[in-house]
Amino acid sequence: MKIWKSIRENYQNELILFGIFVGLFIVMGIISPDKFLSAGNLQTMCYQMPEFGLMALAMMAAVLTGGMNLSICTGATVASIVAGCFMATTFANENPAIGVFVGIIITVAVAAVTGLLNGVLIAYVGVTAMLVTLGTKLLFEGLGLVVTKGGSLAGFPPLFLKVGSGALLGIPYTILIYIVAIVITYFLFERSVWGTQVYMVGCNETATRFSGIATRRTVLLVYIYSGIMYGLSGVLISSRYCSAKTDYGSSYLMQAVTAVVLGGTSISGGSGTVAGTVIAVAIIQVVSNGLNLVGVNRYMINMITGIILIAVLIVRYVSGALSDKKKIRERAARARA
Amino acid sequence: MQKVWKNLTKSKEISILAIIVVLAVCITIVNPNFLTVSNFFDIMRSNSIYGIMALGMLPVLISGGIDLSVSSTITLCAVVMGKFLQANPGSNIVVAILLCMVVGALAGLVNGLLVTKFHIPPIVATLGTQTIVMAAVLFYTNGMWISGMPDWFLSFGDIQFGAIPSAGKVVGMPIQILFLILVGIATWLILKYTLMGRGIYAVGGNVQSATRVGYNVSRVTTFVYIYSGTLAGLAAVTDILIVKQIDPNTFSGCELDVIAIAVLGGASVMGGIGTVFGTFLGIILMAVIKNGLVLVRVSSYWQKVVMGIIILVTISVDVINRRIEKARLVHVDVEE
Repeated sequence: MKIWKSIRENYQNELILFGIFVGLFIVMGIISPDKFLSAGNLQTMCYQMPEFGLMALAMMAAVLTGGMNLSICTGATVASIVAGCFMATTFANENPAIGVFVGIIITVAVAAVTGLLNGVLIAYVGVTAMLVTLGTKLLFEGLGLVVTKGGSLAGFPPLFLKVGSGALLGIPYTILIYIVAIVITYFLFERSVWGTQVYMVGCNETATRFSGIATRRTVLLVYIYSGIMYGLSGVLISSRYCSAKTDYGSSYLMQAVTAVVLGGTSISGGSGTVAGTVIAVAIIQVVSNGLNLVGVNRYMINMITGIILIAVLIVRYVSGALSDKKKIRERAARARA
Repeated sequence: MQKVWKNLTKSKEISILAIIVVLAVCITIVNPNFLTVSNFFDIMRSNSIYGIMALGMLPVLISGGIDLSVSSTITLCAVVMGKFLQANPGSNIVVAILLCMVVGALAGLVNGLLVTKFHIPPIVATLGTQTIVMAAVLFYTNGMWISGMPDWFLSFGDIQFGAIPSAGKVVGMPIQILFLILVGIATWLILKYTLMGRGIYAVGGNVQSATRVGYNVSRVTTFVYIYSGTLAGLAAVTDILIVKQIDPNTFSGCELDVIAIAVLGGASVMGGIGTVFGTFLGIILMAVIKNGLVLVRVSSYWQKVVMGIIILVTISVDVINRRIEKARLVHVDVEE
């Protein structure tokens, strides 16, 4: 009982989001029980959500420090293109197991390096995160184009497809990767010293530095972490197509921002939970997948996602303002008494 | 004269100007066709669209906000005007331009209200309106092109002013560049000589101080978004006057280009800093890079790499310069 109370107090926003998620899930189930609730569709959603979810976690890491990472999608594609160059070689195709394993390592490593570049420019040079990642977004996209010449890179070992479509004991690898990433992110951000520092930097960087914390290193690590997350997403995306191209997954950028904000992370940094982001990702996935099945136009789905974002923020503001007013009135009444 | 020179060398704009000159010299050495009046008019004409939007973005950035919805606003205005002209071919240019600007202003008003009344952070509010409006427009048009503009409208886009001999041809200044210049003058006047303009700088510098001095912060904030929307509307007209038809997909993602121009021109996304002159240099720099890469025969695949590097270098150098200056100021204080 006590645990429930503490959850209700600390995770109020997440509970509301979870309620919305369950509600939407039921509504979609009622609208099209045969399609939406079919095993095939639920499986499809399980395969699709991790890509998007990892992008959202990558974005969230940056937003927690009060920054922004516009280079998540192009960073992921450039990493998978570099790895693709290796995986398309005859060596990789002759030794598929080694080839795929090394390919995945390369993708994540290159993504971490792109994160390092962002982090150095943001933390050590001191440029605003949004501008740095705007520049690196173009840079990575350009580098990818230089390698692929605008086409797509193919000829990977067929084993690579297994990463995105295979399953262990009936659970897709993608979901396993996603769950591991969520758990690690949770412990790193909400249960570790570094995570606490990240939230502090997001609240007030100057105060954090004056309290003796190496804020620059903290921020640098955040962007490297962000890089690793979008690198993993890049692995899943290129595995789904079994090829690499610069515009794969480019639609995830704005969606990731939407998910992070919907999940209750403050865009100015300093507050937000992993659980909120994960539930928000699930909400967006259910809405877009469900409406798609019902046959709603895909532009209409984008529009509804946007409306949900704005509506949630308006509701959050109005309810916040109302509860503030109530508190003031109570305090005034107490003062009078 | 000496004072002017000193001010100029101290200002941020001089470094952008230097980059432009160096680039122009390099490109001209490789391809002498670059430094001709007709080429200059050509590249400025095609970049006037982004220029006008960047001039609208400038006050938003100065006030400490950001407007990601310019891409959807310009698309919305272009489609509304296209449909309007198809329905009323007997209309005239003034009505068409006014219609675009009013639609843009309304889109900006929505952003302004979301930011001021519901306290949604600008980046999120405009991201939301961008998603909604863009999706609505694409849903309505189904991504199809709109063409068949009336003749009087198309011929308005071919108007040129003056006659300057250049590279064996006689060229005049296209009307699109006139639009850009007029918008530049208007923005400069607003920022420099009106209470609203000073309010924009004040709000961007420090919201609390601005409130105490007596500026109506929400009115200033709403104004900058309306202004940005209005100019996006004008940019829509400019665009149709150049390409002569409407493709609802061209402008998705252009907001990042627009922000890049304003930032290259020295505006700070943290607010409080930015000038019209700098933004103009940003437009020219962007145009020179894009055009120069083509003239120097750099493969188009490398263009984005070069653009990315130039953006990163420019903003990094700017930040480092500012830090050195700050360090020097501190030093002087200590000595005294």
